[in-house]
Amino acid sequence: MTPLLEIRNLSFAYEGSAALVFDRLNVTVQEGEFILVKGPSGAGKSTLLRLICRLNKPQGGSILFQGSDITSIAPAKLRSVVSYVAQIPQMIDATVEENLLMPFSFAINAAKPRPGKEELHEMLRKFYLADVTLDQSAMKLSIGQKQRLAIMRALLQEPLLLLLDEPTSALDQESASMVFSIMERLNTDDRKTLITVTHIDFKPETVTPLTYTLAHRSLHLNESDH
Amino acid sequence: MNQIIDISTGQLLLALVFILIAQASSFIYHLGLNRDITIGTIRTFAQLFLMGYVLTFILKTSNSFLVLSVFMVMVVSAMFIIKGRVKEKQIPYIIPTFLTMLVSYLATAIFVSGLVVGITPWWEPRYFIPAGGMVIGNSMSALAISLERLFRDMRQQKELVEMKLSLGANYREASLDIFRNAVSAGMIPSINAMMGVGLVFIPGMMSGQILAGTDPLIAIRYQIVVMLMLVGSTAFSSVAVMLFVRRRCFGSGEEVLLTPL
Repeated sequence: MTPLLEIRNLSFAYEGSAALVFDRLNVTVQEGEFILVKGPSGAGKSTLLRLICRLNKPQGGSILFQGSDITSIAPAKLRSVVSYVAQIPQMIDATVEENLLMPFSFAINAAKPRPGKEELHEMLRKFYLADVTLDQSAMKLSIGQKQRLAIMRALLQEPLLLLLDEPTSALDQESASMVFSIMERLNTDDRKTLITVTHIDFKPETVTPLTYTLAHRSLHLNESDH
Repeated sequence: MNQIIDISTGQLLLALVFILIAQASSFIYHLGLNRDITIGTIRTFAQLFLMGYVLTFILKTSNSFLVLSVFMVMVVSAMFIIKGRVKEKQIPYIIPTFLTMLVSYLATAIFVSGLVVGITPWWEPRYFIPAGGMVIGNSMSALAISLERLFRDMRQQKELVEMKLSLGANYREASLDIFRNAVSAGMIPSINAMMGVGLVFIPGMMSGQILAGTDPLIAIRYQIVVMLMLVGSTAFSSVAVMLFVRRRCFGSGEEVLLTPL
């Protein structure tokens, strides 16, 4: 069976730097898997996610999505099925509804079914945002609410792979627990494939994620966690 | 019409009293502008006298190659002035900007002298050089403003652009607001000039024609053509340059290439 994602001999260095962040890094992700990537600050965890959705360009190696090299897929098409949520959630200065429906204003998602207000309300509730209304300004939400809204928005375009970059790093304990719970549910109930970068020791109750540590310019599977 | 009154060398030097006022202001209030005022004054004299002699020679010889060479020098000089103001190191914007400027200014100057004024040949220096000069001078400032705005906003809003890219936007959709703001920032001075012309100020070209003895009713027709030409050429060159340069802000994977300075 073709893996959902396959990274082969990936090498990367920041522009103007000779030091490699990744040196022939390899990893395979099957559909439905829940991957946690841990590692110290500066190890390149965020960069790895950005390389998968082509927000950065590698120096060597290849990344295959459903067997196709990602460089052969139109960037907008790739990013409509491989959705990346940044560490600091970004909102436009508009209502919650306008922010949530933003993906549908882009040509690549124009033909996808738009969720109605009822569906959005139901989703808000599932994302612990029942007190948020669709017509309120997204800019006035707390960072924890914005983070959940950003994950929800990414899911609305129904990606096949969700990349979450330190989704709890800026959140308090309560908000972080909500995000962890959402991630767990997305994998167990909705069968979403997730790659989450985190420095927090996250141990879900209903699922055992494959945990990798990013060290020495490569990914290492933590056998002890399984 | 009255014969134009020549300005003698002595009278020209008398006008330097205005520079003395500027120098005194800078000196008294420690503005630190004395050196720039001096250099600016010397350059004004040198560049305009040089231009005067060149134009006299070109008008006498009336050679199309010479006319287009002067035009080319003006566009190259404008490009260097833009490069000095924009100071962008990461994105290679100079060649697309220069080529777009050359094509759009040439097209505008040919349209105005050949079709609107209807002069034959279209490169007749008495019309083509001033028309080209006004288009280049006006649009150069607009392009510098637009380019500065484009690069600044792309850097400041990088995370927002990347958020849109991550949600399936192509590079055009992700940077649409930045593109619009950059183009309109460059165009606003030309549009404002249309609002104030004839009320707040009398433009240089019209003043010059009236001083040279032209009927004001003819001078205003030329000035209207000039105002419309400036707005149109500024819009066209700004949009075209922004389209080309914006693409260069993104890599082959439509990733944002600009990094914070």
